[in-house]
Amino acid sequence: MKDKIIIILFLIIIYGFFLLNIVIKDNDLSIEERRHLKEFPSISMNSILNGDFMDEFEDYTLDQFPFRNMFRSIKANSEYKIFHKLDNNNIFIENNKIFKIEYPLNEKNVIRFTEKVDYIIDNYLDGMNIYYAIIPDKNYYLENDKYLKMDYNKLYEIIKDKLSNLEYIELRDLLSLDSYYDTDTHWKQEELIEVASRLEKEMVGIVSNHEYQEKKYEPFYGVYYGQAALGGKGEVLTYFTNDTISNAYVENISSSFHKIYKLEELGGMDSYNMFLSGSTPIIRIENKNQNNERELFIFRDSFASSLTPLLLEQYSNITLIDLRYISASKLNDVVDFKKGDVLFLYSTMIINQSVMLKD
Amino acid sequence: MLFSSISFLYYFLPILLFCYFIVHNKYKNIVLLIFSLLFYFYGEQIHIWILLLSIIMNYLFGIWLEKSNHKKKILAFSIISNVGILMYFKYINFFITNINTIFHTNIGLLKVIMPIGISFFTFQTLSYVIDVYKGEVKANHHFFDFATYVCLFPQLVAGPIVRYKDIAQELKERKHSISNFSLGISRFIIGLAKKVLIANVIGELSSILLGISNDSILGYWVIAISYTLQIYFDFSGYSDMAIGLGNMFGFHFLENFNYPLWASSITDFWRRWHISLSSWFRDYIYIPLGGNRVSTIKWIRNIFIVWLLTGFWHGAAWNFIIWGLFFALLLLLEKKIWGNFLKKHKIVGHIYTILLVLISFVIFSVNSLNEGIIFMKHLFGFTHLPLLTSEVIYYIRSYGVLLIISMIASTPLLPNIIKILKQKKGIKSMINGLEIIYYVILLLLVTSFLIDSSFNPFLYFRF
Repeated sequence: MKDKIIIILFLIIIYGFFLLNIVIKDNDLSIEERRHLKEFPSISMNSILNGDFMDEFEDYTLDQFPFRNMFRSIKANSEYKIFHKLDNNNIFIENNKIFKIEYPLNEKNVIRFTEKVDYIIDNYLDGMNIYYAIIPDKNYYLENDKYLKMDYNKLYEIIKDKLSNLEYIELRDLLSLDSYYDTDTHWKQEELIEVASRLEKEMVGIVSNHEYQEKKYEPFYGVYYGQAALGGKGEVLTYFTNDTISNAYVENISSSFHKIYKLEELGGMDSYNMFLSGSTPIIRIENKNQNNERELFIFRDSFASSLTPLLLEQYSNITLIDLRYISASKLNDVVDFKKGDVLFLYSTMIINQSVMLKD
Repeated sequence: MLFSSISFLYYFLPILLFCYFIVHNKYKNIVLLIFSLLFYFYGEQIHIWILLLSIIMNYLFGIWLEKSNHKKKILAFSIISNVGILMYFKYINFFITNINTIFHTNIGLLKVIMPIGISFFTFQTLSYVIDVYKGEVKANHHFFDFATYVCLFPQLVAGPIVRYKDIAQELKERKHSISNFSLGISRFIIGLAKKVLIANVIGELSSILLGISNDSILGYWVIAISYTLQIYFDFSGYSDMAIGLGNMFGFHFLENFNYPLWASSITDFWRRWHISLSSWFRDYIYIPLGGNRVSTIKWIRNIFIVWLLTGFWHGAAWNFIIWGLFFALLLLLEKKIWGNFLKKHKIVGHIYTILLVLISFVIFSVNSLNEGIIFMKHLFGFTHLPLLTSEVIYYIRSYGVLLIISMIASTPLLPNIIKILKQKKGIKSMINGLEIIYYVILLLLVTSFLIDSSFNPFLYFRF
């Protein structure tokens, strides 16, 4: 009897999934993993003889397996609950917040980052008011030493030492774990008023009143949500708006969308992309409500997308430059650096992986 | 193709089982042959010609050996041909590199790709021609049956080395039963779990620890333990899958592992580790050389020849040769000096064996001799490394449960407990029920790990 049951169950599983593999329609993309899934590879004599077809077919079978997310969730849960691993694919959970291990500190990359900043200053920013601020990633605020954390003190030390001629604006005391989304790497816009105020105070000398209407979107699933594969509830994404933000005109080098918030992105592969339309090399924002001709240039990563709308009040124009998508040596072709403020605003994650920043 | 892949589990296997069991018995070998060739072609593509050449060559050698009056010459020719192919595809660049080093020449390396499983199928065909020569088995005149033997997919690429005489009868006629099929399924799933849930994850640990910047002595010990557990679960997992698949198709392959990490001496270890390979060397090299029924000097020579070849079989690099010779030395010392002591002091024997096996697998796993020497220095604290670092503590905590599970699973403890419990009537039916659930959970867990991971080849494929 036992033998028969084993055989029947085994056959049900392998034939069940075999048939489901054939019957179920393939998915183009996985929102949870924020990526396109592999399609059935094209067959040709050449691709079979050189093995390309087989390699691609292996990827295809993994990507298009029925209930892929459920299986990823089974794996993640077994890693945490059966094998008691502290992380699964470098993702770990602490107090219902999802983190990714950012470790170890890569000192060479940190130095490379400061050299990049020096290069830009030397080549483009003569006579401008230059500031820099470092955004700690959320692992910085983890209280226990259970998980691997990069040596943040060392990172700050190196940068302060190498960029000692620039004005540094401290942000660490204004943030806490609650300033970040539970399921995402980024900070929450609604937690950034004090950050925006300090930046204004240091760079402009005036602090705006920061009066906004709060708008909410839920469920928001951050980038770590899909990677963790544990399911669970989404969270609330709050964004601020007011006349200045609504009337601002956005010129995006890689998009014809001209608003600060791209609401179509909500519920897509990455809802955080609703802030300034996500990744792009250059964005110029014109504040139609301000004619003081004050201009700000921000060298930035994705953290700045949600912060910039809160800095708009005091500037006529803000230009955001993301060196991950445009070479530092080609900036003269697309950005007109004239008098104004410059802010280098980078997260510790990007600084620690500064090879991403193009020469 | 890998057994531990979605393409095998949920495409290849269901189609093969359907085709195999729907045809009449007399066509079953043909079905197995076609699918075995497809299985091999999927991974090796054009290099399948080497396997086909080996099949044709040895099929003809077998028949000639049976009919000819010049058996010795044909045997010599067949051995030279088989070993020649193996030497060319696996060892040619090793020889060229060493010639260049010794004679300061500049001979260019050849662009040779080693076909998967060449060491396994060459040793299988060698055993066939030698056994035919010795008259221990009749030559197979049915080409397709012989071809099925050589390229039978369960053991084609990573063993165990199945001798023709062990399955000659089953190739002609074999019984398929529910109990055998069920036994095959459970054995296959256990092998799959050993590979995917243990070997792959522990392999991840050793890679991480090798890549971290803050080295420590304890870290190197964890790497050595991880190497040993990874190699054991990888290889024995593959053997379990091969034996299980064999059962599903009516074959009975001999066991290849018997809890080797539970051995109480190195002699005992080699009775339990890769049994099909060590018995092959014993029967086809050691005994023909005279075994131990010769003078002491010749016996020592025989031991060293066999273990040099065993090491060399595992890879075309000096660390494998040293790995083999390391065991030769230990086996001699056990035979002549401390073997009896180990027999009397089992606990000392276990500790001694594990320690030496750990060291041996460090030699086995490194990429060069120099790397091995540096590793040993780290291991024994000759490089002023700290005892441990926070990084190592993190990874020990993170992988600790799996390490403990795998250490327990490498001993016969659990099977023995289950065996004892099964003798009690009421508990037996409960255990049977739990076993069914256990296999289903394992299969689904393996599937989930496969889906979440990328392509992960077996370690023993390089042999």
